[in-house]
Amino acid sequence: MNTDASPMIRFVNVNKWYGRDHHVLKNINLEVRQGEVVVVCGPSGSGKSTLIRTINQLEPINNGEIWVDGIRANDPRTNINKLREEVGFVFQHFNLYPHLSVLDNITLAPIQVKKIPKDLAERTAMELLERVGLANKKDAYPANLSGGQQQRVAIARGLAMNPQVMLFDEPTSALDPEMIGEVLAVMKQLAESGMTMMVVTHEMGFAREVADRVVFLDQGVILEDAKPEQFFTDPQTDRAKQFLRQILAPMHQ
Amino acid sequence: MTLNLNWGILLEESATGDGPYWTLLATGLQWTLATALTGWVIALLVGSIVGVLRTLPYRPLALLGDIYVEVFRNIPLLVQLFFWFFVWPEVVPQEIGRWMKQDMPYPEFITAALGLGWFTAARVAEQVKSGILSLPRGQKNAALALGFSLPQTYRLVILPQAFRVVIPPLTSEFMNIFKNSAAALAIGLTELTFQMKQMVEYSNEVIVSIAAVTTIYMTLAFAVNRGMAWLEKKARVPGMIGGGR
Amino acid sequence: MKKLLPLAMAIALSAGAQAEELTGTLKKVKDTGRIVVGVRDASQPFSYLLGNKQYVGYSVDLCNKIVDQVQKELKLKTLDVVYQPVTSQTRIPLMQNGTIDLECGSTTNSMERQKQVAFGVNMFWVNVRMAVKANSGIKSVADLNGKPVVTTTGTTSDRYIKMHEKGKSIDVKNLYGKDHDESFLMLETDRAAAFVMDDTLLAAKIAASKNPKDFMIAGEVLSGEPYGIMLRKDDPQFKKLVDSTLTAVYKSPEMEKIYAKWFMSPIQPKGVNLNMPMSDKMKELLKNPSDKGI
Repeated sequence: MNTDASPMIRFVNVNKWYGRDHHVLKNINLEVRQGEVVVVCGPSGSGKSTLIRTINQLEPINNGEIWVDGIRANDPRTNINKLREEVGFVFQHFNLYPHLSVLDNITLAPIQVKKIPKDLAERTAMELLERVGLANKKDAYPANLSGGQQQRVAIARGLAMNPQVMLFDEPTSALDPEMIGEVLAVMKQLAESGMTMMVVTHEMGFAREVADRVVFLDQGVILEDAKPEQFFTDPQTDRAKQFLRQILAPMHQ
Repeated sequence: MTLNLNWGILLEESATGDGPYWTLLATGLQWTLATALTGWVIALLVGSIVGVLRTLPYRPLALLGDIYVEVFRNIPLLVQLFFWFFVWPEVVPQEIGRWMKQDMPYPEFITAALGLGWFTAARVAEQVKSGILSLPRGQKNAALALGFSLPQTYRLVILPQAFRVVIPPLTSEFMNIFKNSAAALAIGLTELTFQMKQMVEYSNEVIVSIAAVTTIYMTLAFAVNRGMAWLEKKARVPGMIGGGR
Repeated sequence: MKKLLPLAMAIALSAGAQAEELTGTLKKVKDTGRIVVGVRDASQPFSYLLGNKQYVGYSVDLCNKIVDQVQKELKLKTLDVVYQPVTSQTRIPLMQNGTIDLECGSTTNSMERQKQVAFGVNMFWVNVRMAVKANSGIKSVADLNGKPVVTTTGTTSDRYIKMHEKGKSIDVKNLYGKDHDESFLMLETDRAAAFVMDDTLLAAKIAASKNPKDFMIAGEVLSGEPYGIMLRKDDPQFKKLVDSTLTAVYKSPEMEKIYAKWFMSPIQPKGVNLNMPMSDKMKELLKNPSDKGI
């Protein structure tokens, strides 16, 4: 139903407060088109994780509108569970179900939510495990996997629902450095396949190489929204310049 | 004072004319088992529901759960049993009260099993709630984000983990329910402790009677303990404790 | 030892009972200066709690006579009398383990119990009968067929239904009250059609109820049994004292007054009158004191 012209994700004047005083998202307006890869970055506490969580309403908003694939996410009449099927979400801490095997982690939602037959769901799951390079771990339990492996399974779990959009909330920040690469590789491969992605990350290498746009958020306000090349070479605001200095050369401030 | 213990009394014909004394205790054991096990099923069902209610993001339901736990946990079991047995039939419409008192089959057993179940449910609810709250918050979000409804999230993701966490505390509640079932003698259920008192009364072999019944209770507790340990082992997930994030 | 024995006997005989070396309960009382009397909380009119801490009743009056006699014979200036509440379940163990020295309640003197404890000469004769609702139409044990019948746990009454010839062919549902109050409550709330118990206790519960006219004592005498004051087994000195004290009281004119005080007059706390004249069995019991159990 989505035409190329209309955006996959659209924020219209979105505001969110935590409690009464903490204005965490300030009048956000943002569009992500189909097939686009947008990296969201910003200092900690800037509201970037909150921003990405409002898309599938894990965080409710106070006012404004959020549209996903032509459906208004923050409308009480919207079947939010249905909408969430279309929006894959990858967490910083993976959040695999520890009581289920890798294969069951991936097939649980397709079988229970989409009512896909078990054998078909398992076949799809195996294909996804092949893609993330973990087919041999299908019977393992999450606790027996490394962080990088868990995150790759989590990505496969999100993809198993065949979503329109994949959201990533700092997918590599909980990983040991040697495992970051394997996760980013999977994400890059995914981006190349044409998936619409929104990624909160500090991995500027990934942003430069894979992203179509970089959004810079500070204190709940979008300060920059530019192509990576422009963002990294010619940031418009002092805050973005300072942020880039800190993140690219943390030892030489 | 000499302790003149007559262990053979268990095989002797009882003064009540109901067969040897051991059959008195066997009858008592049957009622204790029936009451405790029925009560436990009720406690698990009601306790799980109440425990879940208390973790829901709907304030009125959570409050309802909280009230249940406070009421049923803080009133002594004996008072609760008295209430259901003596007061409740006088409160309900007269016809229903009459039925409860005169036509309801096994009134002591049904009252005891329900009363014990509801009492223990409050304690189970407390364990289930803390089991759920002990899980990383991300588990719920991960399920919701994949499109699970809240009931599905509880059934497929949260409860299977929470129950594994609460097996050890539930074991002690399960053992408690056998001990607590003795309170039902107050409403005339002829369970094990009741029969012990009868045996004491008729045989006057106080120490033998108490020792025999103590042994039975200990055996029950041990069986429950082993059974739950088996269950815990069977439900164990490789590396789950501590690997939950 | 053998050589000394005749000498000891001679001394004992010449010095009389007073010089006899104290044993058992009397020695314990003499050594400690206190005697512990087991009493009941709610066995009206034999032994019950009045107000906060005062235990009264027919049995308590008789026991006080015994306590007075103990003090006199031991020549104690002061004797500390401790009233220790007991239940039908605890009275025998507490007697056996020495917690109480004398039990003044409403305890049936049975042969079975005599294997464990001793009794003074019987102090009362009760009949086991049943209390029913006055409008129930129940007049005999035979009318109980298919009906729930309550007795109190730990007493000796419930077997009488099974043993009574008219109870043999009928089928009753046995209910058990934790104590007499609860058993009576079951009758009052129609959970039970009859309450089988000693007639004195039944009369007391009825008299104390909200509407005494709603209840009556009905049916055959299922059994009769003597009540005794309980003491420790194998304590001949103390038993002798108890028996002689009670016998003396029974023969004295005071006995009539004690009986009338509890069974023929309004009694505290509610001023109810049990109105139970002395039965022939009871008169016989006072005339020929005996510690025979049933």
